[in-house]
Amino acid sequence: MTSLALKSLWARKVRALTTMLAVVIGVAFVAGTYILTDTTFAAFDEIFEDSLAKTDVVISAKDEVRQESGEVPSFGADLLPKVKQVRGVSVAAGQIFTPGGFFDEENEQIGSKFAPKFITSILPEALETQTYTEGRLPRDASEAALDQDAAEEAGLGLGDTLKLASVERVAAYRIVGLTRLGDASWGGASIAGLVLPEAQRITGKRGEFDQIAIAAAGVSEATLKQRVERVVPSSVLVETAKQNAERNSDQIREDIGFLRIALLVFAFVALFVGAFLIFNTFSITVAQRIREFGMLRTLGASRRQILSSVVIEALAIGLLGALVGLLAGYGIAVGLNALFVAIGIDLPTTALVTKDRTIVVSLLIGIGVTLVSSFIPALRSTRVPPIAALLAIELPHSRRRGLVTAAAAVLLGVAGLAMLLAGLFGGADGGAAAGLMGGGAVVVILGVSLFSPRLVRPLASVAGKPLEIARRLTGRLARENTQRNPARTAVTAAALMIGLAVVVFVTVFAAGIKSSIATAVDESFQGELVIQNSDGFSPISPRTAPAAARVSGVELVSSLRAAQAKLLDGGGGKPRVSSLSRNADAVLNIDWTDGGPETLRRLTDGEAILNKSFADGNDLALGDRVRFLTQIGAKPELEVVGEFEDKAGLLGSVIVTQGLMARQFDQRDDLIDFVKLTPGADAARVQASLAALMKRDFPVAEVRNQQELKENQEEQINQLLGLIYALLGLAVIVSLFGIANTLALSIHERTRELGMLRAIGMSRRQVRTMIRYEAVITALIGALLGMVLGVIFAALIAQPLKDEGFALSYPVGTLVALLVFAAIAGVLAAIAPARRASRLNVLESLQYE
Amino acid sequence: MENSNGQVVQASGVSRRFGEGAAAVDALVDVSTAFDRGRFTAIMGPSGSGKSTLMHILAGLDKPTAGTVVLDGQEITSLDDTELTKLRRDKLGFVFQFFNLLPVLTAEENLVLPLSIAGRKPDQAWLDQLVDTVGLGDRRTHRPSELSGGQQQRVAVARALVSKPTVVFADEPTGNLDSKASSDVLRLLRHAVDDFGQTVIMVTHDPAAAAHADRLITLRDGRIVHDGAPGSADEVIELMKTID
Repeated sequence: MTSLALKSLWARKVRALTTMLAVVIGVAFVAGTYILTDTTFAAFDEIFEDSLAKTDVVISAKDEVRQESGEVPSFGADLLPKVKQVRGVSVAAGQIFTPGGFFDEENEQIGSKFAPKFITSILPEALETQTYTEGRLPRDASEAALDQDAAEEAGLGLGDTLKLASVERVAAYRIVGLTRLGDASWGGASIAGLVLPEAQRITGKRGEFDQIAIAAAGVSEATLKQRVERVVPSSVLVETAKQNAERNSDQIREDIGFLRIALLVFAFVALFVGAFLIFNTFSITVAQRIREFGMLRTLGASRRQILSSVVIEALAIGLLGALVGLLAGYGIAVGLNALFVAIGIDLPTTALVTKDRTIVVSLLIGIGVTLVSSFIPALRSTRVPPIAALLAIELPHSRRRGLVTAAAAVLLGVAGLAMLLAGLFGGADGGAAAGLMGGGAVVVILGVSLFSPRLVRPLASVAGKPLEIARRLTGRLARENTQRNPARTAVTAAALMIGLAVVVFVTVFAAGIKSSIATAVDESFQGELVIQNSDGFSPISPRTAPAAARVSGVELVSSLRAAQAKLLDGGGGKPRVSSLSRNADAVLNIDWTDGGPETLRRLTDGEAILNKSFADGNDLALGDRVRFLTQIGAKPELEVVGEFEDKAGLLGSVIVTQGLMARQFDQRDDLIDFVKLTPGADAARVQASLAALMKRDFPVAEVRNQQELKENQEEQINQLLGLIYALLGLAVIVSLFGIANTLALSIHERTRELGMLRAIGMSRRQVRTMIRYEAVITALIGALLGMVLGVIFAALIAQPLKDEGFALSYPVGTLVALLVFAAIAGVLAAIAPARRASRLNVLESLQYE
Repeated sequence: MENSNGQVVQASGVSRRFGEGAAAVDALVDVSTAFDRGRFTAIMGPSGSGKSTLMHILAGLDKPTAGTVVLDGQEITSLDDTELTKLRRDKLGFVFQFFNLLPVLTAEENLVLPLSIAGRKPDQAWLDQLVDTVGLGDRRTHRPSELSGGQQQRVAVARALVSKPTVVFADEPTGNLDSKASSDVLRLLRHAVDDFGQTVIMVTHDPAAAAHADRLITLRDGRIVHDGAPGSADEVIELMKTID
């Protein structure tokens, strides 16, 4: 029986291949995600290990609260002499390792503006692990080394000028050496090396280090670490090289771990769509093999044998699909990385990593999805009576079963909706809420799919109307054909529905975010220009604001500083704390719910103003005292003296004074400078002079007007949208295969009928058109259902965000374009089946049994 | 019961009604008959006479509304699916109008399919004898699509014989064949009865086919209207005329 199952699978290998493709694409996505993220993590591990290859113990400042900008506090250089005297230290050296900006001679950025770039000091040879592929070490303050990949990318070589900019200052250097570290590629990251005093000067860390690296002589790392710990203050952290590398690795996993989850979500969508294709193909093939199953029953095959023959087929398709998918996963991993690079996320890479877990998960998922989705058709095959060998029978769809299905569909829909709402309003925390909402969406989609056979008739009439008007009979026949087996059309359409529901949801939601940001920027921000770091999240020099204020046409500049802190007592995550200049109300329109501009002006170092949603979320009210833990370990206790609403998300959760920000939060740099122009000043001219000033003195800073600020946000959202569309593309492709497969199978079934139509005078062209229209109608049904679902999901999820100023806006143009896209997709899916149908030999088809 | 001429299938008071109420159709009305071991019986009748229904019920493929069928000493109308499966494996063979060979298997694999399904090993001598009788020769490894209709049906007959069933049921076995191929298949069935002692019950509307049988039962409107030796094909035609 096993060999029979495999042989009959082989006989229908083209069909099996399409089914397998659904498994392959889904599994490849899963495998590719694991391979890519494992590889990225491995590359980071390699880089961390390589850079510490000659180091045994590392001293760094304690970083109590990690900052969005990734900046780590520095510590006093006076620690070094004490460390050097510790017994067992062979070499110890202070080091600078600070994020900065890289520019060429014309002050143009080198590399992607989001890519991390570090200004470092070169280490003594006993500790240095970078090797020089060309040139030599920098010897004085005018020379720099640059990593080879960055140099190649920017077209720079020995003797060329490299400008480095920290938040503090900018300087030009002559490149005298090109470096390399280990085998892993750093992706977009780059490193410039300077002699230590110059590195300290340019980063504004004179008399300070970011790190001290120590090599041991004759003692173990652990012993040396203990000895060093005895001579240093508790404000610094002493780690063995291994501990340091592991901590950095863990941090990276925390930082970009979301990437894996996000990709797996898209992989799940592709698999979910694939499950529909598998279900449909198996349903149709079982229906077409009724006579064969009946014959096998007359020859003595038991129900269990019939069941196992179908299950074995599924198993074979699943296993093979999973294996091919696993291999294709390497391609997907490379493709995904290219996709990320294209939108500016250039992660480090190394040799592709395949963990056992990747293989096991891929195989389990491939086989599991195939078995689960083919199970119902397999069960149906056991209901074929032996007499089916002698009579043409169809497996009955009883009325009762129809009712049960409808009831189950409604139940699923309600349950899914309940899960969605529970996730939205139930107050569960991040992960659980997302799980509930995602699960709810899946259950709702299953409910709609179960119910959709009842919707096929009316929807096909609507979608088919224009076609019927255009091509009377052909259109009519096409529409009738899609209505002939509503369950089959429904499942085929459902596959496309899922992909489109997600696309529409994302599109509508993104449109909402864009318009909300635009409104928020307009409402809350009165200054005409802003100055920001060009990456959008790193700080800029506090000297930028006074310099800008001196430009003619500028009335005043108000700066905003920000730091991440931890809320102590009750622990409410990691709020962003901001501080504003006293003149902030001249440029910002703060929406006060308690207090007013005078609250801000009179704010003391012992007080804080809270964002209302943060206050409500943590049960804080006016007069309460709150304690925060800051990056440098300080624990300021503050009294709540005001509350505001912040739709633009500019001000974060807490506002404190700039003095407190500097002392307790260790933040002296600006995040954003708001520029107010003198009345009557020419905005464009002022912006140009400010831009020139920035380019000359503060190259990491960028001037944007309100419009550009909005466009910049929009551009980032569009980029993310593009990425999401690309990732959903795979799921949509799977659903197109589904349409093609269903069409091909139904044409096979209708051979005799098609022969008849040809015999009474239908042209090949008309047959092709008819099949194509069937695909278009099916695709449109899926698209319409998907749109309704997507819009409903977006509207639901927007509800709790209303308080934060989120308003939905419906991109009608895009939605119409998506419908057109679905119709075109239908035409594409129909190419092969339509051709086959039109080439049927009339005589043979009429005799076809 | 176990003597060579005992009755191997007995139908008593078998009725079969399809549908309900005013639309109800009586396909069989109180039919009682019995079939001897090692005999070749043809069942004829015009369309709608109930001949196919009778065969379906005798073979356990359909259940009568009333009456009993005893096959090889076993009452079969009340058997459940598992018992019926066992019955088909051990005691029944089928030949169909449309051959129903599996296109993915070779001729020989199709031939031994009932044994494969039952998980039994074919007796090589018996297999060779069958292949020889069927005249499959060097076409053992051919696919059904490479065989003529007559050859396919002969493989199908051999498949029905391979498990040495108590009864072989043939449903219009020549309905899809030309006259030469038909007579080959009928001779093969005759041979099975004469040389292997096989019991064969065949539904047909081909008088020439009926003429190969030992006994001809004729039905009309769900009742047996004639039961006797078929005589020549011409005599069968005459008989059928009187019935229509």
